Amino acid sequence: MKKFYAVLVALLIAAMLLPACGPTGPECAKPDVFCVGVVTDVGKIDDKSFNQSAWEGVKLAEKELGAKVQYIETTDAKDYDKNIATFADEGYDVIVTVGFALGEATVAAAKKYPNTKFIGVDQFQAEVTPGVAGLIFPEDQAGFLVGALAAQMTKTGKIGGVFGTDVVPPVWRFGEGYCAGAKYIKPDIELFIVYHSDVGFDKTFTDPEWGSATAKSMIEKGADIIFGGGGKTGNGAVIGAVEAGALAIGVDTDQYYTLPEAQKGLLSSAMKLITPGVFELIKLAKEGKFPDGNYVGDAAFAPYHDLDSQVPAEVKAKMEEINKALLDGTLQTNVTPAKTEDGKGFCTP
Amino acid sequence: MDWRRFSFIGFIIVFLFTVVVLIGGSRVSPTIIISSMLTTTIAVATPLTLGALSGVFCERAGVVNIGIEGMMLAAAFFGWLAAIYMNTIFKFDPSISLWTGVLVAILTGGLFALLHAWLSITFKVDQIIGGTVINILAVGITGFLNRQMFFGEGSIFGGNVPHAPGLLPSLSKWLTPLCGGPQGCLGLPTLIQGTFLDQKPVAIAAIVLVFVAHYVLFNTRWGLRTRAVGEHPKAADTVGINVYRTRYINVVLGGMLAGLAGAYFTIESVPSFEPLMTNGRGFISLAAMIFGNWTPFGAWAAALVFGASQALQINLQFFRDAIPPNWAFLQHAYIVGLAPYVLTMLILTGIIGKTTPPAADGQPYEK
Repeated sequence: MKKFYAVLVALLIAAMLLPACGPTGPECAKPDVFCVGVVTDVGKIDDKSFNQSAWEGVKLAEKELGAKVQYIETTDAKDYDKNIATFADEGYDVIVTVGFALGEATVAAAKKYPNTKFIGVDQFQAEVTPGVAGLIFPEDQAGFLVGALAAQMTKTGKIGGVFGTDVVPPVWRFGEGYCAGAKYIKPDIELFIVYHSDVGFDKTFTDPEWGSATAKSMIEKGADIIFGGGGKTGNGAVIGAVEAGALAIGVDTDQYYTLPEAQKGLLSSAMKLITPGVFELIKLAKEGKFPDGNYVGDAAFAPYHDLDSQVPAEVKAKMEEINKALLDGTLQTNVTPAKTEDGKGFCTP
Repeated sequence: MDWRRFSFIGFIIVFLFTVVVLIGGSRVSPTIIISSMLTTTIAVATPLTLGALSGVFCERAGVVNIGIEGMMLAAAFFGWLAAIYMNTIFKFDPSISLWTGVLVAILTGGLFALLHAWLSITFKVDQIIGGTVINILAVGITGFLNRQMFFGEGSIFGGNVPHAPGLLPSLSKWLTPLCGGPQGCLGLPTLIQGTFLDQKPVAIAAIVLVFVAHYVLFNTRWGLRTRAVGEHPKAADTVGINVYRTRYINVVLGGMLAGLAGAYFTIESVPSFEPLMTNGRGFISLAAMIFGNWTPFGAWAAALVFGASQALQINLQFFRDAIPPNWAFLQHAYIVGLAPYVLTMLILTGIIGKTTPPAADGQPYEK
């Protein structure tokens, strides 16, 4: 028994001696050094989705603007404040916080650290806080685009959508936009829409197995195109749909590059152009023209890639027409910005 | 057999299915709904069944194992890693790579269980603490290695997650070449394709293992000894059963079952690993084990209830707009999701028969 404790103690000491990884150097406090830090949402920097797109925007700033860049991955929602403070205390000039869930922590930090600029990706600002720019996207438009595409491409007249929790407004807008776009093309289309609202924030976006099972369940009921929206859960739905022989639509970024397993059946992706949005805001911060309040980025739909030859020319033309009408405002999605009191909308009339 | 418990469980499953058929029957044919719900139920129940069997073996031998979650997670990671290595680095064909992955997952579960056995049997560490150590260790190791191997500077795959060798194919795809085409064996492959019978290997193995586990535990000498060691180790010792060895083997065997459950996540369900992807299913397995009164069939039935309740949740959302107004509360996924846990608590209160753990469960044996 004594020996066991000796081994245990030795291991513990060894663990403590391992170098701790974290933000580097105090030079960020110097005025001539421009530092940008990223605090991720619960998840990894390489999540093939949100965190990664924001980080790519920051990496672009490293290349183009000579910024010093670093990231902290959040492992627990309790650590948001702590992780933001780690960068702020080191004198970082710009801190990018990724995800709706960090909204409150970001605003609180901006009040505490007036010399730092905060970019809140996907954080809608209900009121303007000096030093915080909420980078938001018209998710309803992105969802509308792929919904219209799916409605034109379905052979069974049934399409599905697997999403994270609808309590998060951007997820709600994706889902509603998808239904609105589908019904714009085919008012009588049959929609299978499922949100992973039965679990907490920590699990709703990280459950690929659930996403895959849900997508397959829709396909068994006749759906032939599945839109997967919501981190890893959505990725699971996309992969599951393609495996089951259906077409799939990705979300946030062009998932053709991030989900190689799904390439042969990936029709398109509902994109938020996060990377250029983040880069643009960092550039504005460096030039001293940082906008407080909301900053609206762009939505888009990704290229058809491998399926390009299967999409008829008139569908492509129609998609361009819808995209143009959405951009110049002649076509409105009429989606509510957040979940309605009774949960009704385009998906649940 | 505990018929009251089984009829209660059967009633619940039938009830959950009926609810969906009543609500969605007007939109999709009832046959399709039932077949599709069965597919979801069996798929979702697979890791829970294996996890619960893992618990049954450990606890029947007198060792509490709350580390099943960790064993599953570690197995999911290492199995996936092995499959990728075999395919990408050693250039084996996808099918061999996947089966190697399954094997490595099983071994990983066994190794983590060996650690648990070592701590709790040899060193007599509190078994709850031992299990917690396994869970934390698994989260740490998988998260760290996942980062280092795939995403770090100078990592093996240059920052890109490599193309996984795919997924294990389902029964109809196995049968097609065996029967000489989709119309062979009286058209069996075509017949089962797209139905709930078209399951994948780990799901089928889980069902077979339920029967094997029942036979081993209740009809073999080894099973009798296992139960003796879990009920009254002193008595077992006096008649010459090696208590430590029996416990060691059962815990490792249980770990291997948890390892197979891990393979379900990354090799059978989705071809990727995500940190924390088991999402508490190891703990739900323990609930299933208790729900099933520490018997393989009971645990399986309980896992199916949990699976059916998830199928219910998914399907109720499909048919959201068909839910009658006075049943509007069914639109809240949270409420429906609570059902299995409420049922577990109900079972524990003893309303439908007494739930009895093995008498020496959780007690280290001192010679």
